[in-house]
Amino acid sequence: MSSFFDAWHYDGRSAVRRKVEVQTIGQQFFLLETERRHGPFAFADVEYVQHKGDVDVYGLSGVDGWRLMLSGPVPAELSAHLPSRRRYGGWVDRLGLGKATVVFSVARAAAIAVVLLSPQWLAPLIPQSVDKKLGDALVGDFGGRFCSTPAGKAALKKLVASLDSSPDDLQVEVAKIDMINAVALPGGKVILFDGLVKQARSPDEVAGVLAHEIGHVREKHVMQALLRQMGLAVVLGGVDGNSGALVNNMLAMSYSREAEAEADAHSMKALGNADISPVGTASFFERLSELDGSARGGEEGRGITGYMSSHPLSRERKKAFEKSIVKGKDYKPALTSAEWTELKTMCTQDRNAKSGFGFDFE
Amino acid sequence: MSEDLSQRHSAFRFHGTWREFAGIAFPNLLLTIVTLGIYRFWATTREREYLWGKTDFIDERLEWTGKGMELFIGFIMVFFLLGLPLIVIQLVSQGLIFRGETVIAAAVTLVMFLLLFYLTGLAYFRALRYRLSRTYWRGIRGGSDDPGFQYGLSYIWRSFVGWLPIFLLVPWSMISLWNERWNAMSFGPHRFSANAEWKPLMRRYLLFYLVPFLVFVGAVAFGIAIAASGGQPDALGGTGMAIGGILLIFAVLAMYIVLPLAALAYYSKYFRLAVGGLRLHDLEFEFRARAPDWILFFLANMAIIICTLGIGYIFMPYRNWKFFIDHMEAYGEVNIDELTQSETIVSKHGEGLLDAFDVGAI
Repeated sequence: MSSFFDAWHYDGRSAVRRKVEVQTIGQQFFLLETERRHGPFAFADVEYVQHKGDVDVYGLSGVDGWRLMLSGPVPAELSAHLPSRRRYGGWVDRLGLGKATVVFSVARAAAIAVVLLSPQWLAPLIPQSVDKKLGDALVGDFGGRFCSTPAGKAALKKLVASLDSSPDDLQVEVAKIDMINAVALPGGKVILFDGLVKQARSPDEVAGVLAHEIGHVREKHVMQALLRQMGLAVVLGGVDGNSGALVNNMLAMSYSREAEAEADAHSMKALGNADISPVGTASFFERLSELDGSARGGEEGRGITGYMSSHPLSRERKKAFEKSIVKGKDYKPALTSAEWTELKTMCTQDRNAKSGFGFDFE
Repeated sequence: MSEDLSQRHSAFRFHGTWREFAGIAFPNLLLTIVTLGIYRFWATTREREYLWGKTDFIDERLEWTGKGMELFIGFIMVFFLLGLPLIVIQLVSQGLIFRGETVIAAAVTLVMFLLLFYLTGLAYFRALRYRLSRTYWRGIRGGSDDPGFQYGLSYIWRSFVGWLPIFLLVPWSMISLWNERWNAMSFGPHRFSANAEWKPLMRRYLLFYLVPFLVFVGAVAFGIAIAASGGQPDALGGTGMAIGGILLIFAVLAMYIVLPLAALAYYSKYFRLAVGGLRLHDLEFEFRARAPDWILFFLANMAIIICTLGIGYIFMPYRNWKFFIDHMEAYGEVNIDELTQSETIVSKHGEGLLDAFDVGAI
């Protein structure tokens, strides 16, 4: 900092630099050159621009490029009228860096908590009609991939009715896609992929998976997940792409694990009410666990994959379903063997249904 | 400020230090984290205020007058005007694929791609315009009255022409776009003129372009030579395998090391030609960094980031700006009396588009 007070001025109209003296008159001031006088300017219009080297730079609102640059000890009668320095920007300067950090941290935690928790009570408030429209818009007729034969449909209807007390607002379909999978979508839509039905060894296995997906529908998981994703996208919108997506996925995943467990519980209850044995579902997960490798990993190996994957480990789910077996209970098969055959061969019989995923690896 | 011409090496001088910059970068990092990234607009502004303020052009420092709020508003605009429609379009096209309307889905995707491409071009233009309009020197700023919509179209067709002859005209498209962009810009009352040539760039480009072929041809030739001289596969089986393995490693290394080097060599020439073709009234510009400078700069950046486990990343804006200013040179003269204020319009929002597409650079 130089020991002499210096004032320089750019008028914003040309690049000529002017050495000036500041003449203060009440709430106004003039800038005096040797042969010229600029002003008057009102102190109220003066804005802090920035600190450059040992110089404080001020601007004048409404005059583009107008600058007053002061260095050295600014006289008290002048500095009293000048706006204060800006460092981090409005709020942070007012609070101080430390306090601002704390305030922002709390606000951030609150925002995330709201986004994560609110879908649970927001989802039931979404009207059924909106949910249904969304489902219809998304799925439609699934590109003609739904399989249908009268007997197969009847078997499926019976299965759904045995697992749910009010099956009318559900739309369960089998799609001609050779994947071992099933999905719950908005509007009460549940789609079983033909690959899953074909490889199942008994109707009880299909019943367990179906009841699981119906569980997602009844617990409103689909709408919750949609709302949560949208909320996270907004809240994390400010974070750079990659790290934001990672945090987003981690948070969403931990919730989907919870949802899967809920859907499993729903499935076991529904199976119990329908007097269908959970043994089939347990053996289905047994076979899945051989596919996903959790049977090989041993007890120690399960930590990481068990935490990261959205579905609970197949082996743990198998154990849970086995536990839900009630000894001595009189279980009936979910479908008669004739009905089961019809359901299993529905997609083979229905020659009108398109297969595969459209773009296409047929 | 002294007018000692003998001491001055370049019209541009940067005298910031990384320690001072750390005093800005670390609080920025902290505030960015606790605000879920929202502070980063103010962080960028603070960094630029420092970098510009530490940069002399002839005898006066540059001044950055952009505001964090402008960048933030730009980002919000992009989010609502672009982000949300994109999410909707994606949902719609997913629904279309589900329904088997793959042709329409493909058309929607293509339109979306073209739109994004157009907006990328627009974003480059707008960012340059924004930066010039917020850069002051002696109270005078730059800018442009061109909104850049035409440039967006140019960006599409020139890029396609560049790619059409198996990517051989990329140098032409890069240089001609640079010229078009800068020819629309001005500083004070003077318009920039950009007449960079693209033909001198072709040799470097071909070098870069042919690297993969040369490595491949070299590997094949070497392999054939080995096979021809080897003769007895039983005896030399093991060694043959080893040599093959070494060869493969060599080829991969060559791709990973030689290709980026060739790319840097090309970019160095591109930037030298592009800046060299730039004029502002009586001023001519030169960028003096040559390929070895770029390579050293790039390697040092990598080393800093790796050795600091990524924290060094926050110093990259500092390093980039210092490299840029250290190698910038201007010749000619500035008539201070003639340099009057720019009449161009000043947009109230920042480089939101560019920010959204995550493209930095000057």
